[in-house]
Amino acid sequence: MAEIVAGFGMPHTPNFPAHVAREGPHCDVARLYADVAKHLAAVAPDVLIIFTDDHFNTFFLDNFPTFAVGIAEETAGPNDQTPMPRYKVAIPGRLAAHIRTTAIAHGFDIALVQDFEVDHAVLVPLHFLTPQMHIPVVPIFVNALAPPLPSARRCYALGEAVRAAVAEWDKPLRVAVIGSGSFSLEIGGPRIPRGERAAGFPDPEWTKHVQDLLVDARIADLLAEATTARMLRAGNIGGELLNWIAMLGVIGVRKPTAMTPHPGNGHAFGVWRWSAAPASEP
Amino acid sequence: MSVYAIDKLCRDALHDLAFREALKRDPAAAIATRDLSDEEREALLAGDVARLYEWGCHPFLLAYLTRWDLFGITQKIYNERIHTAHDARDDTDTR
Repeated sequence: MAEIVAGFGMPHTPNFPAHVAREGPHCDVARLYADVAKHLAAVAPDVLIIFTDDHFNTFFLDNFPTFAVGIAEETAGPNDQTPMPRYKVAIPGRLAAHIRTTAIAHGFDIALVQDFEVDHAVLVPLHFLTPQMHIPVVPIFVNALAPPLPSARRCYALGEAVRAAVAEWDKPLRVAVIGSGSFSLEIGGPRIPRGERAAGFPDPEWTKHVQDLLVDARIADLLAEATTARMLRAGNIGGELLNWIAMLGVIGVRKPTAMTPHPGNGHAFGVWRWSAAPASEP
Repeated sequence: MSVYAIDKLCRDALHDLAFREALKRDPAAAIATRDLSDEEREALLAGDVARLYEWGCHPFLLAYLTRWDLFGITQKIYNERIHTAHDARDDTDTR
């Protein structure tokens, strides 16, 4: 009975909150998130599902899940010292548990995490989209950083399982889905720029190509092309595209309502809407 | 396990303030009890991030060291050194 009402994709660059606090609401970064926030407000979701990659903060390499669902009443963060406000975020625990159960029934041996905080990959998008944190969030963790990564097809299929879980949910709920991350990003590896920058965006060509595939809804091509080797050539954080791909699995093959590049950065801002605004909206 | 120990050490530098302060004060003493080989200890103390990267330490975690110039690794030095590392992606990069 619950329905998927929209999908969104966006980066979670840790210095964006501080950047916007410094530069003000008219800077590019603020506007890019504000545009997405407007679409999100218009579809009035009751719940958000966010596909996120933990940067060794919620989990560590002693025990690093390929996929995990956060099942609790609440989480908080950031737990990685990102310079931004600290937030508490409600989790719809029963729905999160139902998503995990359904995903396991669909063949995904998905890990459970119940006592946890989240890092910038969840909270930077929410900081800009729902700073009042009034919409509960189901975090679904995808390993995008520590190879071997799950395949693009597997992540898309996980999204399809989440879609089935939402369809089976016994209460009317409007659910929006977020894929959090970049397409081309290198941190700490040999593809960072020379000089004194900690991060680089080594593959503008791939960034553009991914956006083109998304705009044309060439999802089969995207799944075929987004091999681990190809994503990592675009940077050691390039696997974050998997979060977008999992989001696409939830919403299905659709053309985006908006796909806004962020020139000079290895990411974009995407919006997929199809549902009419809820009747209660003025 | 040693690559793991170095990754863990980088993580602890971010999350464990007392350990970070100890690293700033006396790096050799701070890592004395860590489960590292002599070669690894030497590479860390020399700030040889290229070697640590080649051994498989995660670059996202190694990059933490620059935040406080630990082991003498400023951002500038880090970038210079990491560019000398062998990038396994080049082996399969056919572009």
